[in-house]
Amino acid sequence: MRTLGVLLAGSAGAGHQNHQAEMYAPGFAAHPGFRIVGATEDRSGFDRADVDVVSVCVPFEHRVEVVTAALRAGKHVLVDKPVALTSAECAQIAAVAAETGLVCLPAYHQRFHPAIRAAREAVAAGRVGLPWNVQADFLVAGGGPVWPYGELLNFAPYATDAIHAVTGLPVTAVYALARPVEGPEDLVTLCLTHERGMTSTVVAGRTPPIAGVQGLSLHRYRISGSHGTLLADATRPGVTVRGEKGTRTAWAGHGTVHRMLTELHAAVTGGRPAELGPADALAALLLVEAAGESVATGRVVRLDNEQARVS
Amino acid sequence: MERDSMSSRPLGILVVGAGAIADLHVAAITADPRCVLAGFADMNADRARTAAYRNGGVPWTADLAGALARPDVDACIVCTPNDTHENLALRVAAAGKHLLLEKPLATTVEGAEAIVEAFTRRGLVLAAAHSHRFYDYARTVRDEIASGAVGRPTLVRLALLGGWIWPDWRSWVIDPAKSGGHALHNGVHLLDLVTWWIGSRPVSVYARGQRRTATELDVHDYLEMVVRYEDGAVAICEMSRAHRPAALAQRDVVVQGTGGLLTLTWDGEGPLLWDEKGAHTLDPGVAYGFAAQLGAWLDAVTAEGAGTSVSGEEAATAVALGVAAERSMALGVPVEVL
Ligand SMILES: NC(=O)c1ccc[n+]([C@@H]2O[C@H](COP(=O)([O-])OP(=O)(O)OC[C@H]3O[C@@H](n4cnc5c(N)ncnc54)[C@H](O)[C@@H]3O)[C@@H](O)[C@H]2O)c1
Repeated sequence: MRTLGVLLAGSAGAGHQNHQAEMYAPGFAAHPGFRIVGATEDRSGFDRADVDVVSVCVPFEHRVEVVTAALRAGKHVLVDKPVALTSAECAQIAAVAAETGLVCLPAYHQRFHPAIRAAREAVAAGRVGLPWNVQADFLVAGGGPVWPYGELLNFAPYATDAIHAVTGLPVTAVYALARPVEGPEDLVTLCLTHERGMTSTVVAGRTPPIAGVQGLSLHRYRISGSHGTLLADATRPGVTVRGEKGTRTAWAGHGTVHRMLTELHAAVTGGRPAELGPADALAALLLVEAAGESVATGRVVRLDNEQARVS
Repeated sequence: MERDSMSSRPLGILVVGAGAIADLHVAAITADPRCVLAGFADMNADRARTAAYRNGGVPWTADLAGALARPDVDACIVCTPNDTHENLALRVAAAGKHLLLEKPLATTVEGAEAIVEAFTRRGLVLAAAHSHRFYDYARTVRDEIASGAVGRPTLVRLALLGGWIWPDWRSWVIDPAKSGGHALHNGVHLLDLVTWWIGSRPVSVYARGQRRTATELDVHDYLEMVVRYEDGAVAICEMSRAHRPAALAQRDVVVQGTGGLLTLTWDGEGPLLWDEKGAHTLDPGVAYGFAAQLGAWLDAVTAEGAGTSVSGEEAATAVALGVAAERSMALGVPVEVL
């Protein structure tokens, strides 16, 4: 396996998040296909010959500049999510990525979860027939809010991206509810209409801590189709361990970040686009913006999918 | 109304409408010593007679007015098609009898209000057969919320999924003029339940419907109804007769609260059976729910017990939600609940 050199650029994210230190750096370090060759807080090192991939977690105000600079320097890019705060900025990144033909992978790693992969393969194999509805729950127990942003931007796109990965049907309209009313929302409900008349209802948010739960308390997708019904519970696979200290689940398989990096590696070494690209990040942000408008107006907001189709 | 000490004879209950669901009510009547089955009234005399014959030869008639005039009829259970509820309920009230009325209370908000008013005015006990309230799963959820185990509910999911195919095109349940549409016919079960669990006033509904079994259906066989409450809570209700395989029967409950999460897993209710056709969860059964429902109504009629029957006002709220859901589906926009 060819080993790709990785430069870690930045250590910022939404709110308190530092996905570089917590997720991507350990992920690259543990993956046999990559070797971390350096780190930078600015744009230095983009011209190094031993760098194949730049892992970008710079502050949002520098994202467009840093991602496009890396691409123009001929490097493939992994971009923290959200890729940008606005669809306009994301579109700029998408345009440069398209122009350079390099891999630019937004880190919506949940779509690589084995339960979601299995669902995607089953749907693609026609096991449920033509999907007409999806229900999704993405609830995380505990952890701090990503102030000043809310979970519409932070968590909801994981679930909507997973639905897109499973069904391939873009969203055409959204009605959204969010709470609390006063602040950055911690719980959102998205009622989506997709192409081909498929509907979905997505719940995403952060809840108070739950004893025995690390992270996701509820993460599942029900896909209903013309010939069957599929329930993918992404808190599985797992064994349940009960002991004096309470109950927990465990599973030894690779995590979603590792699996995402495998796709990044395959795309770079295979000279092909990654299955997840700037168009997906743009679709996610356009949906976030439309949902925000729906929350503010109480109306159903239609999406213009031409915007999301980057050439 | 309180019964005096002289009236020690059991309450006589007339069943109006001897159709499919009547059997469950009759089984409940038979099991409760506080009441007796006084007979059947059905506009279809054959049905009334057959039901009477199967139940020990109790009186039967196609003449409701005559039956309502009988002094040994103290109360009625009306289980006829939805569009007949308003007229029949008003006749029962005028005859001075208590009523357990099948859901939906009526197919219009005005109709529901007229029924509630008629019973309140005469001091008669009106209860609606929102039978899910008496099923163990629903009471468990309600008890857990009431105990404070999950804090104040912020998000509720309730899905009743099935692939049960409607009998045929002549069935009244798929005629929206008779059933009120699926949001009123079956949707009210869920709308009532989540409102009872959440305990806040519903303010708006956004509903979407699909016709999966046949595009020619005049009702939606799959409903996604999202209700927003005054306290900010959101309920997502899914009612389905559209799922495949047709044998699917799945209940799903999630309550996320300010202090915890409650879930009812797909295999959380009944034993699991594997046979040559695959894996099946065994039906936990609903019979006891109908007995509990009857018992709660009798409690209210005899002024015993805590009065847990579903009041006319609550059932009228479910009708208002169902009507709003049908309107939302017709217009494609969220609708305020009046
Ligand atoms: N609580 C539940 O779980 C539940 C389940 C099924 C049905 N229901 C409700 O029960 C009611 C009856 O449903 P069903 O499935 O038994 O229907 P059904 O069609 O099997 O039976 C209805 C009966 O009412 C009779 N009838 C019709 N109009 C009448 C009238 N004006 N006067 C007297 N009799 C009349 C018919 O002849 C028929 O025998 C409906 O309101 C339905 O919504 C409730």
